[in-house]
Amino acid sequence: MRRFWASKPLGVEGVRPRAAPPCFRLSMVHKRPHMRSWYERHLNFFLLLPALIIIIFLTIYPIVNVIYLSFYRYNYLRGVKALVGVDNYLRLSGDWLFLQGLKNTFLFSITATIMEVLLGLGLALLFNVRFRGRKWLLPAAIFPMMLSTMVVCAIWRSMYHYDYGILNHLLSLIGLGRVKWLIDPALALWSVVLVDIWQWTPMAFLILLAGLQSIPRELYEAAQVDGATGFKLFRHITLPLLRNHLMLAFLLRSIDTFKIFDKVYALTGGGPGTATETISFYIYREGFRYFNMGRASAAAVVMFLAVGTVTAFYIRQVLRRNYV
Amino acid sequence: MYKLRKWTWWFGFYLLIGLAMIFILFPIYWMVTTSVKPPLEYATRNPTWFPQHPTLAHYRSLVEQKAYRYFLNTLVVSLSATVISLVVGLMAAYALARYRFPARLDLLFLLWVLLVRMAPPVVIAIPLYTTLRTLNLLNTLFGLVISYQVYTLPYSIWMLLGFVRDVPIEIEEAAAIDGASKLRTLRSIVLPLVGPGLVATAIFNMIMTWNEFIYALLFLRTPAAFTLPIHIANYITEYEILWGELMAIGLLSSLPMLLLSGYVQRYLLRGFALQLK
Repeated sequence: MRRFWASKPLGVEGVRPRAAPPCFRLSMVHKRPHMRSWYERHLNFFLLLPALIIIIFLTIYPIVNVIYLSFYRYNYLRGVKALVGVDNYLRLSGDWLFLQGLKNTFLFSITATIMEVLLGLGLALLFNVRFRGRKWLLPAAIFPMMLSTMVVCAIWRSMYHYDYGILNHLLSLIGLGRVKWLIDPALALWSVVLVDIWQWTPMAFLILLAGLQSIPRELYEAAQVDGATGFKLFRHITLPLLRNHLMLAFLLRSIDTFKIFDKVYALTGGGPGTATETISFYIYREGFRYFNMGRASAAAVVMFLAVGTVTAFYIRQVLRRNYV
Repeated sequence: MYKLRKWTWWFGFYLLIGLAMIFILFPIYWMVTTSVKPPLEYATRNPTWFPQHPTLAHYRSLVEQKAYRYFLNTLVVSLSATVISLVVGLMAAYALARYRFPARLDLLFLLWVLLVRMAPPVVIAIPLYTTLRTLNLLNTLFGLVISYQVYTLPYSIWMLLGFVRDVPIEIEEAAAIDGASKLRTLRSIVLPLVGPGLVATAIFNMIMTWNEFIYALLFLRTPAAFTLPIHIANYITEYEILWGELMAIGLLSSLPMLLLSGYVQRYLLRGFALQLK
């Protein structure tokens, strides 16, 4: 290999670096492509390779596999595997339990998302005020989302307890009757929603707070000079400028709530009856308790498509903002 | 930020924020106090608001049950998953931030990774279960570490991508002119500069894996390998009201995460690909 300083002077015409440091030969910046080794030319691929292998192994292969399995009747324990075409999907569409799960998942996801974003917005507006103690309250306000969902469920299950729960005790103190939080089929889903709201409002709150703080003060001052006050400021300055962050909070929370599984598992176990059945829970039961992998895979494909649609909106936002 | 003028506004403001903080913090207060109450004070129709006879009995019985095994398991899993994700993620993020790939493969890869990050974990769990079973990794912590890459790797790649892009390329060029090889530039220039980013990413990965539930539930069957969330879940579903111990272990397992909340609040947005500033 030719030495760099033997071929061409550097920088200013005719001035040659006086004493080249020993490591100078390693410099890649001044090597022409044909002078770089094969390894150097493909460094980008080498750097990406481990991630690529893991991602392919952990996601692309499984997703292809799920689609493949969804066309089979496949019981893991009995070792039965037979091609049945779209039969799994047809059966799903007639499965009352699956439809119930679908309905509950949508109900849960929509209510929880809307409530979390609204409450998060309220909280963000409060924390957008400069007040004493803000520095300490801000980290405390996001405690719920730092807890493991299982810990959250443990706490709420104890508070929801019909006889010994603090919530029912509180209600009876005010003179109201006790409530069957997790036992009443009409109420159980909403009790789970409440737990999710408690745990994840801080997430929407943080996103929206960042949005509020990115709005320049001058805009408010200018509007105030023009005579706008209170609600008008909120309606015509805050909301329009917060649009992106609101969108982000809505998308992220709806994608996340759509996957609801762990709370259902720990709080109600899908019951009472089928009152808190969700898609994730359906897949879990079919796949990992009955080992009907084919049916579970078909349900998983349906779910993946549903989440994928919402995610597509999210990705469009990412692309439009040129953050890639 | 806003500053309020009239005292009536301040009154309403503190009222609202007080109510919000009570709603947010009361369940946590309840966990802390229940964990030091004797059963007589919580397994009753009139639970006490404040522990009258505080006791550490529940914590002692946790030690007797060797609950620290679960802490150890969880720590091992989340640390190794985090380290793997950081190394692999940083390499990938650097490649994606600094090089061009043919046919916009980099963009495709990034979007796929984003899609994976949003996908429901149960969807991937079915084939992953079969794969882990054939590899004899079911029921092992190593198998769990690998499956956690589904969560942590996409997250790390996206988060570190932002941090690598923040490193001015001129510094790297200067290093190259001074004769540093590409790997050396990575090690001595890029690595220190993305240091804070690495710490933030590591913390988020730790939180995610420390609290992870579904994969641990599906892929671990023997109690010896259980992680904390699984242990707690079993507690909830098997023993109806051993709340003292339950809250004690819940509190202990949450403490490390609660201490990190200041960090989370500062860096949360970076992980979501939309760094709206």
